[in-house]
Amino acid sequence: MPRWGMVIDVKRCIACWGCTIACKEEHFLPPGVFFNRVLIGESGKFPTSSKLIYPVLCNHCSDAACVEACPTGATYVREDGIVAVDDEKCVGCRACMVSCPYQQRTYYDEKVKDREYFPGQGKTEMEIIGEKLYPFKLGTVIKCNFCSERLEDGMKKGLTPGKDEDASPACVNICPVGARIFGDLDDPESEINRLIMEKKGKQLRKEFGTEPAVYYID
Amino acid sequence: MNDKHQDLVETMFPSDGSGIKPYEWMISPTRQRQWIDDKGIFLWLAFFFSEIGAGLYFMSLFYSFRPGIVLGWLITLVLGGLIHMLYLGNPKRAWRMIMKPNTSELSRGIWIIGVFAVLGFLQIITPGGFNMVFNFIMGILCLLIISHGFATMNVIRALPAWNSTIVLPLSIISGIWVGHQLLQLMFAISGNAAAASGMEVWAAAFFLAYFLCMLLYAWGTWHASGAAKAAIQRMLEGDLKQITYIGVGVLAILVPLVFTLIMWGGDTNGFLIFLRLASVCAGDLAIRYLIMKSAVYNPLI
Repeated sequence: MPRWGMVIDVKRCIACWGCTIACKEEHFLPPGVFFNRVLIGESGKFPTSSKLIYPVLCNHCSDAACVEACPTGATYVREDGIVAVDDEKCVGCRACMVSCPYQQRTYYDEKVKDREYFPGQGKTEMEIIGEKLYPFKLGTVIKCNFCSERLEDGMKKGLTPGKDEDASPACVNICPVGARIFGDLDDPESEINRLIMEKKGKQLRKEFGTEPAVYYID
Repeated sequence: MNDKHQDLVETMFPSDGSGIKPYEWMISPTRQRQWIDDKGIFLWLAFFFSEIGAGLYFMSLFYSFRPGIVLGWLITLVLGGLIHMLYLGNPKRAWRMIMKPNTSELSRGIWIIGVFAVLGFLQIITPGGFNMVFNFIMGILCLLIISHGFATMNVIRALPAWNSTIVLPLSIISGIWVGHQLLQLMFAISGNAAAASGMEVWAAAFFLAYFLCMLLYAWGTWHASGAAKAAIQRMLEGDLKQITYIGVGVLAILVPLVFTLIMWGGDTNGFLIFLRLASVCAGDLAIRYLIMKSAVYNPLI
């Protein structure tokens, strides 16, 4: 069984927010909900300051704080390493949201559901269709799932996640500069393992000991 | 601009500058919202009522005072339990929270409350319920319930202000202190002036311990890490300073200190006990609110 992970080359990223938009489109996310973000910050002081551009998403940690905190077992790590939420079991206590050091989860309630992309003008057809095609359960927590539906459908067709677009996450497919590389962390021959080894891939906030599956290289 | 548009703007760009803009998320210390804002306020109240109910039950055990344990049991389960339910997104599935006691502090709390409910009920209805074994078991359960709220917060490593070692002693002392005050008032109301007066010896000790725990929490958190220090700074200098100075400084410390000095030596008075209790409860609520509201996450980059 593979263990899916991602490498993000921050030197390549041009902060086009393609991943943010593709993700919103893929999951029909309401306004204000992001499974993918591109963080822009600074380090150092003038004249040696530099701009930091970090695309972030759920880290699908193998020792995830959210999984530990969940009192019902609704949040769990799948065999393929993806941290998923079973919305039938979620009680909406939000312990997972509070305990996530990366703050990559969203509570889906009436307030979020009722948001319109064109406020006061009703929901567009796209939003209405989205609620049917990709329904979220009220009172539960939602998050990035590495586009597990795409991965599973693609693999059924014999495609390889990370190589074939139809079996890869939307944020990986859309990236115009190839800053996101997706693959199997358990395969020593995979491209992402090669990049992590060669370019000394780093995990965000490693000190929390959650073992993220998303690595950053520069 | 219509109401919906305004709501959306407020969601995206709230006036406190902590909006959910996709590019400025978690690049500076970001405050915890889920367990205090909106419906999160229920959790704050639920932790408080669970704590004071269990505190009252705990103190009543030392005096074998049945009305005290009945009231403590009811406050913990009815007020604490129901308000907990109001917070949940799917309260009908709350039974599922017993499923993960091995890793989840919340789940362990549900088990403890369940055992407390059953054994407490048995102690209330059993004529010889105040025996050594029962008292010991219920005492331990009360301490666990008193500390449950802060224990749930304490295990969250992502929030350094909650991950302080002094959080648990602070919650235990505050629960016992408020429980002591409630029981003293019950004695005063029921005409048992001797017991109310006798309890005053402990008031000074509990107040001092409570005050020291607060100081240690502030000092330890200030020196723990950047994010933890930012939380204390918010309390002392930021948007929460009024609650800190009035809620903690005046209501939790100054007023109880004055009343404790007035009643020094056991010269108690029902009205003064009531005033001190009201002040201590408001102060305890303020401390809990501040700790929950001020906690911030470390920035990601």
